[in-house]
Parts: sequence; C-alpha cells; structure tokens
Amino acid sequence: MNLNYSDEQNMLREQVLKFCETNYDFIDREKILETEAGYSQDNWKQFADLGWLAVPFKEENGGFNFGPIELTVLFEEFGKALVVEPYLSSVVMSGTILENSNHSNKSSIIEKIIAGEHQISVAYAEPNIGYNFFDCLTSLSTSGDKLSLNGTKSLVLNGGNADQFIVLANQDGSSVLISVDSDEDGLSVQSFKTIDGQTCAELSFENVSIDSESILASGDEAEAIFNKMINVSILCISAEAVGAMNASYMKTVQYTKEREQFSQPISNFQVLQHRMVDMFIETELTKSLLIKATLQLDSNDPEAGNTISALKVQVGKAGRLVGQHAVQLHGGMGVSNEMSIGHYLKRFTAIDSMFGNTQHHINKYQTK
Amino acid sequence: MDIGFSEQDLQFQEEIRAGLNGAEYPAHVKEKQEKGTALTKQDLIDFHKFLHSKGWMGYNWPVEYGGTGWSPVQIYLFLNELAAAQCPTILPFGLNMVGPVIYTFGTQEQKDRFLPDILEFNTWWCQGYSEPGSGSDLASLKTKAVLEGDHYIVNGSKTWTTLAQNADWIFCLVRTETTQKKQEGISFLLIDMNSPGIEVKPIITIDGDHEVNSVFFTDVKVPADQLIGEEGKGWTYAKFLLAHERFGIAGVPVVKVQIDKLKKLTANYNDTDLNKKIAELEIDLEALEFTELRTLAAIADGGHPGAESSILKIRGTEIQQRLTELYVEAAGQYILPYEGPEGFDSNRTPSGPEYASPSVAQYLNYRKTSIYGGSNEIQKNIIAKAILGV
Repeated sequence: MNLNYSDEQNMLREQVLKFCETNYDFIDREKILETEAGYSQDNWKQFADLGWLAVPFKEENGGFNFGPIELTVLFEEFGKALVVEPYLSSVVMSGTILENSNHSNKSSIIEKIIAGEHQISVAYAEPNIGYNFFDCLTSLSTSGDKLSLNGTKSLVLNGGNADQFIVLANQDGSSVLISVDSDEDGLSVQSFKTIDGQTCAELSFENVSIDSESILASGDEAEAIFNKMINVSILCISAEAVGAMNASYMKTVQYTKEREQFSQPISNFQVLQHRMVDMFIETELTKSLLIKATLQLDSNDPEAGNTISALKVQVGKAGRLVGQHAVQLHGGMGVSNEMSIGHYLKRFTAIDSMFGNTQHHINKYQTK
Repeated sequence: MDIGFSEQDLQFQEEIRAGLNGAEYPAHVKEKQEKGTALTKQDLIDFHKFLHSKGWMGYNWPVEYGGTGWSPVQIYLFLNELAAAQCPTILPFGLNMVGPVIYTFGTQEQKDRFLPDILEFNTWWCQGYSEPGSGSDLASLKTKAVLEGDHYIVNGSKTWTTLAQNADWIFCLVRTETTQKKQEGISFLLIDMNSPGIEVKPIITIDGDHEVNSVFFTDVKVPADQLIGEEGKGWTYAKFLLAHERFGIAGVPVVKVQIDKLKKLTANYNDTDLNKKIAELEIDLEALEFTELRTLAAIADGGHPGAESSILKIRGTEIQQRLTELYVEAAGQYILPYEGPEGFDSNRTPSGPEYASPSVAQYLNYRKTSIYGGSNEIQKNIIAKAILGV
C-alpha cells in the first residue's frame, strides 16, 4: 500500500492551485456567474492549453491516460475555488461514456473535447423517475425504417451550452445511450440557472430522427457504461466536496480569529473551537473514504461501487455539517451573498442532490 | 390542571376561522399565499389592515393600549388559525417589539402618538439593533447620538435591518455616552426613516432575496422627545424587547402547517425513511408547542417572558431548519434549477415537483434563524447564566 501522491500528481495539484489563485477569486467567479453561458470560455481555453481536458482520456484518443487519482486531484482544487467550468459534464461524464462505447467516431470527438472546442452533456435525469435513471420514459422507437426519439430529459448539466448530447433512453424495454446533436430538428433546449450558480437544461425530444450509428451502446452494455460514468462522477464531485470542505473550515478558522466580539477574537470561545474541530474531523473522514474509493476504482476492485455509496453518504452528511457550521460561525455574513462562505453551502446542497442523495445511497449501501 | 379547551375557547376559534374565511379577507393575499408567490409591501399592509379591521391586531396587547386582552389559550388558538389559513406572518417589529417597549416605558405623549398607528398599521417599523461590529456582542454598539439643544444628532450604521426598505420608522439602540460599562451608555431612540441623512442599502442573502439591509446615519436630527425612557437606560429596554422577540420566534403554528403540507406533497412517495424523519420532527414539535403553552400560561399569571424563552428560540429554529432540510431531501435532485425568489417565468418552468425550487430557497434562507434574534449560542449562554447560574 502506498498512500502518497506521485510527483506528477503533486505538480498537477500545484498547477491547478496556482491557476485558481490567479484567475478565480470570489470576484472573478461572480463575474463568470453573471454571463449568459455561466462559465468562462477563456478559462476553458486555458484548461485545454494546460492539458487538463486530456487528463482522463486514453493515449490512443489523444489523452494523458491518467485515471481517478488525477481526476480527484483536479476536482479537490476546483472545489476549493468553487470552479464552475463544465469539466464534470463535458469531460468526465461524456468522456467516460464515449471512451467506453464502440462509437466509430469517438476518437475525433474526444480530440475536439480535449482541444476545448466541443461541449457534450449527458442527459440522464427525467421529471418523474427520481434517481431510478434506467426507468426512463424517453424512448427510441422504430417508425418505418427510421428511428425516432421522444421524451423529456431534465437537469442536464451545462445543457444550454452543449453542442452534442448523450441521451439515456429506453428502446423496447432496454436501455440505450444515443448521441444527438444539439441542432437536431425536434429537439428544444431550455436552460436554467442552478442553485449553486451553474446551469442545467431541460431537453424535449419530439420525433427526433436518429440514425443507427448514433447508438453508442445498448442493453446491459449501455447500463454498465452508464453505471461506470455515475461512479466516476460521484468520485469527482466528492473530491470537489472535500476541497470545498477544506476551504470552508479554513476560511472559518480565519474569520473567527479576525472577528472580535466581547473584546476578543471569537475563536477564543470553546464552543466555536469545538464546532471547527468537528468540521475538520468530518473533512478528514471524507478525504479518507475519497482516497479509498479512488484507489478501488483505479484498480477495478469489485467493492468500488459500494465504497462509492459510502463516500456519497459521507459527503452528504459532512457537507451539510461543514457548510452549515461555516455559515453559522460567520454569523450574518454567512448568509450574505457577497461572501464566499454561503456559496460553499449551496454547492454542498447541490452535490448532495446529484446522482442519488444521502438517503438513496444509505439504502443502496450493502452492509458486510 | 386540565388540558381541554372550554366551550368559549372553541367558539372563539370558530369566530376567528370564520373571519379568516370571510369576504373581507384580502383575496389577492390569499391567492398569492396559496401559490407561494412573493408578497409585495402593499399585500402585507392590506393583510395587517384586515387584522385591524377585525380588532385582532393587538392580539397580545393589554386592553388599555387598544389590545384584545386575550387569554394565552385564545392567543394560541388565534395564531394556529392564522397559520392554518396560510396567512402571512404578522410583522413583529411594531407589534411585538417596539409596541410593548413604548407602552411599558414610554411617556403618555409617546403612547398616544405611536401606539394607534402600530395597531392600524399606518406605520411600518424596523429594528436598528445590530451593527457591523456588534452582532452577538450587541452592547458594544457604536452608533452615536449627541444631544444638541432639543435634538439628538445620530451618526453610525446598522445592519441586517429586515425590510428597512419598506419602513417608515426605525427603533434604534444608540450610544449617548461612553461609559466604563458598555451597557450603561446606551439609549433607545425612535427615528423617522424619512429624516435627511438616512441611507438604506440592500444586502442580498444566499437565496438571492432582498430582505435585509444596511442603514447608514449621517448627522440625522432626531427630536429629543423621541427618546424612550431615560437616557442611558436603553439596554434595559433592549433586553425587555429581546425577551418579547423570542416569544413567537419558535413559529410553531406555521411549522405545524408546513409539516402537514410536506406530508401531503410526499404522500404518494411511500418513502418510509422520509416518513420516519417527519415523525421525529413532529414529536419534537409537540414538546416545543407545550413548552410554549407553559410559557404563555406563566405570562398570563403575571410573569414576564424570561430566560426560558431562549428554549423556544433555540429549539424552534432548530425544528424550522430541520423541516427545510426534509423538504430539500424530499425534492431530491429537482432542487437544482433556481433563478431567484421571484420564481420562474410562467412560460418557462423546469419540470419536477413545484415545491422543489422554493424548498431549497427556504433551506438557505432559514440558516438565518439560528443567527438572528441573538444567535443560538448566545441563547445557550443566557440559559447557562440566568437559569443554571454557571
């Protein structure tokens, strides 16, 4: 067993940290949130130039052949600065599905993703199925010699900016993953701001014609690829949450040392010290499960999926505790939109809600 | 001891219910409350004017000042009926805060001048307590008032001032003297918000709403007859007010209605985990509700709400916050789309349950409850000191 990051991994962390310090203070981020796209195209270009968009892809597709460890390094640092660029949707989610599919064109599409020229979003959620993504009502049906897609997909991350979608649908009772260009006839896209300042979209498909080559995977294969994508995605947002927890408790410690009430820094008060210790403990415990899950995914351990559920539960509970304590200890400033601390709470809330919330994963977890 | 309501109590409840369902109740307010649409300033004025027209505004005031003189049981029934009818919360600033201070410590002239307007809701009050450097340590406040002839000249700033953007008057704690003991140099001033030198700046909270403000005072002239009680005794009045503020802050009747609503919204989920959590919350609420009734009974026997009211504040806000968490949990991933307190355009709404988006806004907004009105940490200090004597 070796739980140390390699020099290369530490260098990547340094690089992301430096980027965020220079380009991603709270004011920079606020300006990005106000834009129509909800993320910065300049930053995205820089991500591409720095090679970050190539991180998880195989060498044969132009990637760096890195794995879950490097992804969590990236996301931990993203979490500290609350980065909103669509790395999760465009690189992690779409990339995982594309790379594991038999799509004839996948190399050229991945190349465009790596170059930062192409955005893809995965459409998995629907209005009425909760977290049971395979129970979807969006269906691919045959009419004559043509295939057509009908239904509604919701909460599509970064969907308003996507050039292409990968849609989870149902074909005669079995799952299919289909590629659909965003300008296809019969597809309408409505974009919304999200609670944490990002964007998501609702897609409506009305007799969108699909050619058979656009089917990336079907049946058990489609579900296996999809589950793999969900696991990697949970890993990434968990790493992001760990970064955000780190930042939250450190900012809180800093604030309580500076804020004076009753003629002394409020960090002198033991009740607040213990709260901050609790925040620290939860952060460390989350980091531990994160590393365990990362290494299990990295080594294709069959236990990985179960650890991912454990991790998601820990992230939900710890995120809530750390986020709420951070706001509480900042007092009124904590609920002010002008301070970063409340934005971490928003991100924890969004993260808990995605890919199965705490209760969902408690139920999914298999006790040993 | 007995727990039942008398025949008269039940008749009283019936009267309130009929009144709230009657034709005089402002229909636009009812409609917006049912839909969960944000209320305007005028909506709130209309609602309070309605209460006044029924003679209910002074529901917790003594008869001699125009109040109803209702018994604790009647107050309890009244507030429960308001919540059940989905009425807006009665604004506390005039009625529960400055009103009791004025009728307890004010001059006859001040009572005549201010109390009727509070009951008729001709004036909207806001609270000038917290300052940027004085939150939990309220007595360290720095906003200064200097007496020059028959006027005070006020300089400084207040913050987290709820709905100051709508207010006609503000009651302020100001420093009239720098004393050894910081509590001793504080005075209680009533200030017209239209006075030259007052500036109100919005503070946007994490749910995107504009509810609180910063209020700045630059050489604001305040007639000396707007001082309450004695100069330098403001801290006594402030504490009296805070004890009153904590009463009702538990929000029990509203929580009860919100729990019922959540149960209805999730009835077809068959989610046993969620149902257990709702049951636990209801149990805690029962204990809190009866604690509040005990406090009410003690007040009716001539007592004043004391440090015990801190229990209501602490547990009440904990329950309110947990309830918002349950709403968020029930809505799951559909909480994601959110475009601000005004809600979505009617021609572009995201799918998923309609309650999802307001739920997450409420969750974020309600983080304030364990911070305001004296943070819950401060409330525990009060109990430790005043009741446990440690």
